[in-house]
Amino acid sequence: MKIIAILWNTLKKPPVHISLGVIIIVSFLAGIVFWGGFNTAMEYTNTEKFCVSCHEMEDNVYQELQSTVHWSNRTGVRAICSDCHVPHDWTAKIARKMQASKEVWGAIFGTIDTPEKFEAKRLELAQHEWSRFKANGSLECRSCHDYNSMDWDKMSDEARRFMEPAAERDQSCVDCHKGIAHKLPDQMGSTKDPMLARLVREATSVSLDEGQQYYSAKSVDLFTDSELTERAGVLQVATEVNIIETRGDSVRLEIPAWRKEKGFGRVLYEDFGQNISSAVLDKEVAQNDSLIEVRETEVVDDMTGLPWGNVDVTLWAEKGAYLESRDALWETAGQTYRDACSVCHTEPAPEHFDANTWPAMFSGMVGFTNLSAGTQELVLKYLQMHSSDYVEGAH
Amino acid sequence: MAEGKSESGSVGKRREWLAFLFVVAIGVPLLTIAVVGGYGFVVWMLQVFVLGPPGHGG
Repeated sequence: MKIIAILWNTLKKPPVHISLGVIIIVSFLAGIVFWGGFNTAMEYTNTEKFCVSCHEMEDNVYQELQSTVHWSNRTGVRAICSDCHVPHDWTAKIARKMQASKEVWGAIFGTIDTPEKFEAKRLELAQHEWSRFKANGSLECRSCHDYNSMDWDKMSDEARRFMEPAAERDQSCVDCHKGIAHKLPDQMGSTKDPMLARLVREATSVSLDEGQQYYSAKSVDLFTDSELTERAGVLQVATEVNIIETRGDSVRLEIPAWRKEKGFGRVLYEDFGQNISSAVLDKEVAQNDSLIEVRETEVVDDMTGLPWGNVDVTLWAEKGAYLESRDALWETAGQTYRDACSVCHTEPAPEHFDANTWPAMFSGMVGFTNLSAGTQELVLKYLQMHSSDYVEGAH
Repeated sequence: MAEGKSESGSVGKRREWLAFLFVVAIGVPLLTIAVVGGYGFVVWMLQVFVLGPPGHGG
């Protein structure tokens, strides 16, 4: 108390021993040093080195970033943590720095210090960041990616088709581009598809009658022998098969299909002239006449001039992966299609395009979704089988 | 005053320099950090309870 009193007494009087000039110069220099130091400290807390100095960041999000385009790309420009996660505007930045006291708290008390704890919190953490990006229109993204600087002519058609309307609406980037720099939360179906999993489970209890027609509930490995040791190719999801014979845990399938009579004929298609794939065979199998019965040959598709052949391919596969009809598969696929695509845009009706247009359309867009490979295959087939080629009265 | 006497001496000179340097090097910087930090904290709390997440240019 005495020290404070002495200090106060000294301070409240004009200086006797220090000249005004010295006070001004020393205070001015101290101001410069302080301001520089303050900014340096602020900058330091914006560096990647600082961010990944806690293992929560280093082990999780930092590793994920390294597999994305924001880490390495053809132009050599890369984003560090603070480019996206710290506001660039001063007031918002200071507020964010204060908010980081929560992160310090989390680091001290180990809120997300194991991968399991981190995964459990991932959705919540992602939602915080998404609502921030929603509110500021993805401001941080746009300090690099500016709608006004986008050259539509240089974009691919698929990209332009969606970017141009987004620019008109001044849409927030993260509306569509979620999961662009880190993994999406599991709850968003990036790893599992419960609806499809249910159908696959259901298929395990479908009893198979010889001579009957079934449809694959998932993609199935094909073999030339009943012990399932010699791989022959892959049967794709929702493909029609006839059961010839069952033996133990294996079934002998007949796959009625079309193929192009050009090259090795490895890819089997659902229908004449339509690029709706049913199965992919290994090269030797595709040329093995004892496994493939040719029913029609040299049927020329006028559109492309390619000769097609109608074949029955007979191979072995596992049991318990087939359904009696495709209705449930199509229903699941249709639901998935509507859910996944409507996140960003109004999804076109399947019959809006023909079966040969859908693959390019689909592959251009599917990267924005988190559909698993199996689900993608099913959804594409659903779209093709419900395209204008198969729906009456469609344009 | 007794104090006035000592202030003209070396003790007074020492006290004046100590007080000056203390305020310039420690007092004002801490106060500035507290004010800026407090401002940030207030904005953060406003964002949490009133304003919502920072918007365009906000």
